[in-house]
Amino acid sequence: MSRRQSSQRTGSMRPVNAADARKMRSIIAEDPEWSLELVPLLTTLCLQYIIKHFEGKPILDELAANYKAYVLQRLPTSLPLTVTANLISDESFWKRCCEGRWAVCDISTYDNSWKRMFFERYLENIIEFFIPDSTDTKTVLDVVPLCRNYVKRLKVSQLLPPIKEVPRFDEDDRSDCASDTGSEGPTIDHFDFRILLDKLPNLEELSVVYGVKGCGMNFEWNLFEFTFRDCESLAKALNSCKTLQVFRIHRSKVDDEKCCMLVSQLLDHPSLHELDFSHNHIGDRGARAIGKLLNRSQLKSLVVCNNQIRGPGAQALAHALSKNTTLMSLNLRLNRIGDEGGQALAQALVKNNTLVNLHLGGNNMTEPTAVALSQALVENCTLKNLNLSNNRLGVDGGKVLEEGMSHNSSLVECDIRLTDVGQDSEYCIIQALRTNQSQASRKNQTQYDLSAKV
Amino acid sequence: MHQPEPLAGEETVESGPSVESKNQEERITARRLRIAARNEAKKRQELGEDPQDKEDVQEETRKSQKEVEKSKKHMAKLQSDGLELVTNIQVAVDARESDRRTVLEEACRLRREKLENEAKSSQEKFEEITRKWTDAKLKQTPLDLRDALNSQQQLCEQILADKNKLISELQQELKASDDRFVKDLKRQAKDVDLLIERMEEQIASLRKSYREDLQQIENSFDEERKTLLTKHRKKWEHQSKDRSEKELKNMMQGISLLEEHEDLLQKLRVQRAEEYNIDKIRMDTEVQNLRKKLQDVKFNCHLNEEKLDYKYEVLKKREDENAILKSQLKRKIIRMQDALNNLKSKCANQEKQSKAEEQSLENENARIKQQYKDMQKKARHFAALDAERFEKFWLMSEDEVKALAHRVLETDRIIHEQQLGLAWVSPSLPFMERSGPIEPKTFNTASQVATDTQREDLVQESEGLEDIGSGVNRRTVKRILELLCDELGFLVESKLLMLVSHLEKNEQSLIKLDAIFSAIGIESEKDVYKMAEFLMNYKQHGRKQRELMEEEETTNNPPSDFIHQNDLLVALKDFTAQYCRPHDVQASQKSSVLKLDMRDEPEDAAYWESIVKVIPESKLRLWSALDTALNKYHTVLTERAELLVETQDVQQQNTELRQLLRLYTTSKASAVPEMQPARMKRFPM
Repeated sequence: MSRRQSSQRTGSMRPVNAADARKMRSIIAEDPEWSLELVPLLTTLCLQYIIKHFEGKPILDELAANYKAYVLQRLPTSLPLTVTANLISDESFWKRCCEGRWAVCDISTYDNSWKRMFFERYLENIIEFFIPDSTDTKTVLDVVPLCRNYVKRLKVSQLLPPIKEVPRFDEDDRSDCASDTGSEGPTIDHFDFRILLDKLPNLEELSVVYGVKGCGMNFEWNLFEFTFRDCESLAKALNSCKTLQVFRIHRSKVDDEKCCMLVSQLLDHPSLHELDFSHNHIGDRGARAIGKLLNRSQLKSLVVCNNQIRGPGAQALAHALSKNTTLMSLNLRLNRIGDEGGQALAQALVKNNTLVNLHLGGNNMTEPTAVALSQALVENCTLKNLNLSNNRLGVDGGKVLEEGMSHNSSLVECDIRLTDVGQDSEYCIIQALRTNQSQASRKNQTQYDLSAKV
Repeated sequence: MHQPEPLAGEETVESGPSVESKNQEERITARRLRIAARNEAKKRQELGEDPQDKEDVQEETRKSQKEVEKSKKHMAKLQSDGLELVTNIQVAVDARESDRRTVLEEACRLRREKLENEAKSSQEKFEEITRKWTDAKLKQTPLDLRDALNSQQQLCEQILADKNKLISELQQELKASDDRFVKDLKRQAKDVDLLIERMEEQIASLRKSYREDLQQIENSFDEERKTLLTKHRKKWEHQSKDRSEKELKNMMQGISLLEEHEDLLQKLRVQRAEEYNIDKIRMDTEVQNLRKKLQDVKFNCHLNEEKLDYKYEVLKKREDENAILKSQLKRKIIRMQDALNNLKSKCANQEKQSKAEEQSLENENARIKQQYKDMQKKARHFAALDAERFEKFWLMSEDEVKALAHRVLETDRIIHEQQLGLAWVSPSLPFMERSGPIEPKTFNTASQVATDTQREDLVQESEGLEDIGSGVNRRTVKRILELLCDELGFLVESKLLMLVSHLEKNEQSLIKLDAIFSAIGIESEKDVYKMAEFLMNYKQHGRKQRELMEEEETTNNPPSDFIHQNDLLVALKDFTAQYCRPHDVQASQKSSVLKLDMRDEPEDAAYWESIVKVIPESKLRLWSALDTALNKYHTVLTERAELLVETQDVQQQNTELRQLLRLYTTSKASAVPEMQPARMKRFPM
C-alpha cells in the first residue's frame, strides 16, 4: 500500500521534476525519499505478468505462499469461471467476485464461504433467467462441472415460462396444460430440473417458485402456471437427488394431484428431513398423501401453511402423526382444519412423543378443540411451542386450556392471541408458561454447567 | 472458586512432611495427609460449609453474573415483546385472511344456493314453456295461436330478464371483490410498511438496549476486575511477605544447624583419633603373633618339601616299573590279538561248516518231507485198501452173523412153537436189513451253519425265536455272525474281499464268514454254537464288570442284549484261547489220520453186541431151563427105552416060554396055556 502511494507520489513528482530543471538537479542528489525500492522487483514484474496472462496460462499452486497471496489479491474478477472455478479456493478472491456482482451479500447464510455463495447465486441466476426452448440447456450444463462441488443450496425465486408466439396458443395451453405434449406446444413448460439435480452431488437444499418475479403490469395468469408436466419432471428430479435434505415449493399452485405426484416420488427418500409446501392449493387428498409420506421418510419438519386442508386431511395427518417418531415441527397455519381436525391432532399428540413445535394458527378451531388440546397437554411432555392464534376458542375454551396448562410442565411458548380466551385465563396461561420457561432455562443451565465441568 | 483449596493444600504440604522427601515413611505420611485433606475439602464443599468458598460465590453472583442475568432477562423480555409487537401484525393479517375466507366461503355458499334456486326456477319456467308449446299446437285459431305465442314470448323474456339480472348481480359481486382485492392489496402494503417500520424500531431499540447492557456489563466486569486485582495484589503481597519471612527464618535455622554440625564434627574427630591409637596398638601385637606363625609355617614347609622329594623319587621308580609292565602288557595284547584272529578264522570255518550242514539238513528235511508225503500217500492208499478190506470183511462176517442169527432165530422159533407151544414173535432186527459198515456220522461244518442261519432267516424271518442247540437261539446266532462279519473284516484277506466285492450282500457275508471261521479255527456247527454261547456268557459276565464304568456310554447305545462291538475282539480272543487250542490239535490229527480211524469203536462194538443180543437174556435162561427139562426128559426116555428092551426081552422070553408051554401043553393039558395069555395081556398095559 505504502509502496503504491509512494509510487503515485513519485509518479506525480517526476513530470514536475522534469519540467523544472533547476529543481531536478538539486532534488535528484538530495531527494530524501528516493530509494532503490521504488524500482519494482523482478519478482513483482513476474507476478504482474502472471496476473496479466492468467487466463491463458494459470500459474498459482506452484508459487510460494506470499507470491500466491499477491497474485490472488490482484487477479481480476472478470476472469472466466472455467479457469478460476476449480483452481482458486482463496476466499478473498471470491469475496471480490461476489461484491463485484451483487450489492447485498450476507455471508452468514452460506457457511461463511464466499465461493459457495458465488456459485450458488451464479447458478440460481442462470436458472432464474432460463427461458424454456429459447435458452440452450448447455448454458446450464456448462456451469455444472464448475460448480457441482460447491453448490449446497439452490433458492430459485422465479422460473420463466416459454415465450409465447401466438396469444391463441396461450389460451390452449391454459385450457389443457397438463395433457398437451403436442408438437406445436413447447417441449417444456419451465426449466427442467432433471438435467441438473442428479449432477450436483452436494445439493442439500432446494427452494422453488414456479412463478415470475416483478411482472408488474404485464401480469398474465399463465406466468404463474405450474403444469402437470413440470410437476412430473420436478418429482423425478427430486427422486434422483439422494442428498437432498430440504425441499421447499412456495406460491406454485400445487394442488392435490401435483402434491400426490411429488409425494409419491419422495417416498422413502433417504435424506429428506424438511418439506415446505407453503402458500399452495393443497386439499385433503394432498394432505392424506403427505400423511403417508410422514411415516415413510425421515421428515423432521413439515410446513403446509396457507393451504386448503380441511378436517379429513388434518385427520389423516393426525393419524400419521400418532405413529410417527421423527417429526419435530408441524406448521398448519392458515388452513381450514376446523374442530374435526383439531381434535384429531390433539388426540394424536397424546400418543406422539417427538413433536416439539406445532402451529395451528388461523384454523377455524373452537372450544371442543381447546378441550381436546388441554387433555393432550396434560399427557404430552415433549411439546414446547404451540401456536393457537386466530382460533375462536372462546372464554370457556380458555378456561379449559388454563386448566390443562396447570398440569403441563414442558410447554414453553403458547400463542393465544386473538382467540377470545378472556384476560384471566390468558394471564394464568402466561404465568404457567413463565414457570415452565424458568424451569427449562434452569435445566439448560445445569446441563451447560455439567458439560462445562466435564 | 477452587482457588483457596490448593492453597490450603500447599500450606499443609509445606508444614507437614513433603512428598518429595527422601525418607520413604515421610513420603507415605505425606500422601496420606494429602488424601485426607482432599477428602475433607470435598466433604466441606458438599456440605457447603466452606465459608470462604461461599463468600466467593456470593461475591461473583453479586457482581457480574447478576448483571449478565439481569441483562439477559431484560433482553429476552425486550425480544419477546418486540417479537409479539411484530408478529401482532402477522396475526392480525392472518385473522383478517381467515375472516375473509369464512366470508368468502359463506358468500360462495349463498351464491351457489342462489344459482341453484335460479336454475331450478328457470328450469321450471322452461318446462312450462315447453308444455305450452304442445298446448299451442292444439290451438286451431290463429288468434289463439298468437295469444299463446305472445304469452310464450313473455315467459321467455321473463327467463332472460332473470338471467340477466343474475349476471349483473354476479358482475357486481366480481367488481366488489376486485375492489376488495385492491383494498386488500393496499392494506397489505400498509401492513408490510408497518411491519418494516416496527422491525426497524425494534432493531433500533434492541441495539440501544444491547449497547446499554453491554456498557453496564462491561462496567461491572471492570469493577469486578479492579476489586479482584486489588484483592489478589493484597494477597500476593501478603504471601510474598510471608515467604520472605519464612526464608529468613529458614536461613537462620540453617545457620544454627551449621554450627551444630560443626561442633558435632569436632567431637567426632577427637573420638576417631582415640580409636585410631587403640587400634594401632592392637595391630602391632597381632603383627608379632603373625610373624611367629609365619616361622612355624616356614618350618612346616621345609619338612613337607623333604617329604615330597622323597615321594617324588619313589614315584619315579614306580613309573619305570610301570613302563616295563606296560611293554609286557603290550606284548600280551599282541599275542591275544593273534589268538583272537585265529579264533575268528576258526569261527568262520565253523560257520561255513555249519552252513553246509544246515544245507544238507535242509535237503534231508525236504527229502523226509517228500518221504512223509509219500508215506502219507501210501498210508492213504493202504487206508483205502484197508477200508475196502474192512468193508469186505465186515460184509462177510455180517453175512455169517446174519446166518447164525437166522439159525438162532429159527431154533428159537422151533423151540417156541414145538417145544413150548407158544406163539413166536420175531424180534425187530434192524441190522438185518442193512449191510455194509456203519457210515461215520458226519458233523455239519461251521460254514454250513452259517449258510443255514442265513438262509433260514431269508426264508423264515418272521417265524420268530426258535431254540436251537444249547439254548442259543438262531436269531442271536445270526446277529453274532453279522457282528463278526462286520467287525472282523481284517481277518479276511484283501484279495478275497476284492473278489467278493461284486457278489450279493448275503453271499459276500457268507464268504467272509467262511474266511473268518477258518482264521479263528471254528469248523463244526457245535463250535459255532459254543462260540455264540460263550459270547453271550461273556457279555453277561463282562457287563457286570463294566457296568460301573460304562453306564454313561450304554445310555447312548441302544439297549441290546448283545455283546458290545468293542468287547467282541477281546471275547473272541478269550474264546480261541479256551476252546480252539485243543480243537486245533485234534483237527490237525484228524486231517492226517484217515477215515478208518474216525470210526467209532464202541459203536461198532455195540453193533456187534446188538447182533449178539438177538436172543435176549430171558430167553437164554428159558433155554437153559428147557435144556435141563429136556435132559431130564431124555433120561426118562432112555430109562423107558431100556425098560422097553427089557420088556421086549421079557416078551421074547414069554413067547419062548409059551412056545415051551405049548410044547408042554401039547404035551400036558390044554387048560394051562389059557391062563398064560391073560397074564401077558396085562403086561403091555
